[in-house]
Amino acid sequence: MGGPSGTFITVEESHRLLAYEDLATGGSFIVFNNSRSIFQIVKNFTDFFAHESCGFCTPCRVGTSLLQKQLDKIVLGHGSAGDVVELERIAGLLRQYSHCGLGQTAANPVLTTLERYPELYQQQLKKISYEPGFDLDAALQVARQMAGRNDAAAHLQQVEE
Amino acid sequence: MANLTIDGQVVGFEPGQTIMEAATAAGIYIPHLCHKPGYTPHGSCKLCSVKVNGRVCSACTFPAADGQQVISQSAELQQDRRHITQLLFVEGNHFCPSCEKTGQCQLQAVAYELKMHDNHFPQFYPQRALDASHPDIVLDHNRCIFCNLCVRASREKDGKNVFGISGRGIHKHLIVNSESGLLKDTQLTVDDAAAHVCPTGAILIRNTAYHVPIGQRLFDHQPISEVSLEHDHGQ
Repeated sequence: MGGPSGTFITVEESHRLLAYEDLATGGSFIVFNNSRSIFQIVKNFTDFFAHESCGFCTPCRVGTSLLQKQLDKIVLGHGSAGDVVELERIAGLLRQYSHCGLGQTAANPVLTTLERYPELYQQQLKKISYEPGFDLDAALQVARQMAGRNDAAAHLQQVEE
Repeated sequence: MANLTIDGQVVGFEPGQTIMEAATAAGIYIPHLCHKPGYTPHGSCKLCSVKVNGRVCSACTFPAADGQQVISQSAELQQDRRHITQLLFVEGNHFCPSCEKTGQCQLQAVAYELKMHDNHFPQFYPQRALDASHPDIVLDHNRCIFCNLCVRASREKDGKNVFGISGRGIHKHLIVNSESGLLKDTQLTVDDAAAHVCPTGAILIRNTAYHVPIGQRLFDHQPISEVSLEHDHGQ
C-alpha cells in the first residue's frame, strides 16, 4: 500500500482503511497473488531504493546498499543466526537517521514484511551459528579453471608442497 | 537570552544560532565530521544527530529555539553514531596503520571517541583512484567521506571552485574541476584552505607526512571532544 516505500499488508488485513490515520497512500497500491515470491518483491524494492538514493547523507548512501547486500545474503541462503537481527539494525539506522523521506522509508519493504512473515525469514536461515558472507567454492572457481584442477582439496595440497 | 537544555543542562543561545553552535559555546561536544565553524552547515554526515523534543535532527543545521529539550549523549544515540561512523569506514578504504594522517585524522579520532572497535559491517572495498599529479598536494579518493568541506573551502574561502561532488548514491564521488579532471590542472595551491580542511587523509600536503612523529600528534594525547571544543570555541 503506497508503493515501494509504503506498507506491505496481508489478506487478513483487508479490513484496514485507506486513510491518513491507518494506511496512508498517495494513491498507489499493488496487489500480488500467491504466485509471487515475497522475497522477490522485497528484493526488487530494496534494489530500487539503493539505486535511487542520491548519496547526500551517510545513513541512506551506505545503508541502502548495505541493506541490499544483507537481504541478498539471506535470500540466497547464506544467512545464519543473527543475520535477521543485522538486517533490522541496518533498517533502523536508515529509518531514523536518513536526511529525507526516501531514506526514512527505504527499509519499509523489509520492515513491514519482517513484521508479517518473521517465520519466512527465519526459515531462510541456515541452522548453524555462523555462515561466511561469501561462498568459498564460488570464489575459487576462476582460479581452479585456470589451474586446470577442480578437486575440492586442490588448495590444501599446494600448502603441503 | 533564550535557553534550551542539552542532556538536562541549561544552555543559552543567541538568535540565529544552530544547536551545534549553542552547544559548542557552552562547552558541550557533539560528534561531527562535515561541520566546521565558519563554514556553511552541510548536515550530511549525520554524526551530530540529536533528539530535539523527541525527533531526530542534525545539530549542525537545526536552529536553536527557546525551550527545546535536546538529548545528545544517550546510549542509543552514541551507539547509532558509532554505527554511522562504521558505515563511513566500510564504504571507503580506510586503513589507519598505513595512513600518514593517523593521529591527526578526525574520522579516526571520532571512531575512538565513540569507542568503535571494529568495522562491524562488511567492507565494500571500492576501487578508487589516487591523484598524484599535483607537485605539492595528493588526493587519495580512497579516504574521502564526502563531507564537502574541501568543496566549500575552495568556493567560500579560496574563491576557486576546485572541487565538486558528482554521481549518485553509493557511486557518489569527489571530482576535480579541471578539463583533465586532475589536480595539477587547477589553481589549487598549498596555501589554500581547501588543501588543509580535509578531516581525513584524502587531501594531503606532500613532504610533510612524518614531520610530527606518531605519538606526538594532535589526537594522540587528547580526545577529539577536547580538541574540538578548544579549536571551535567562540567561532
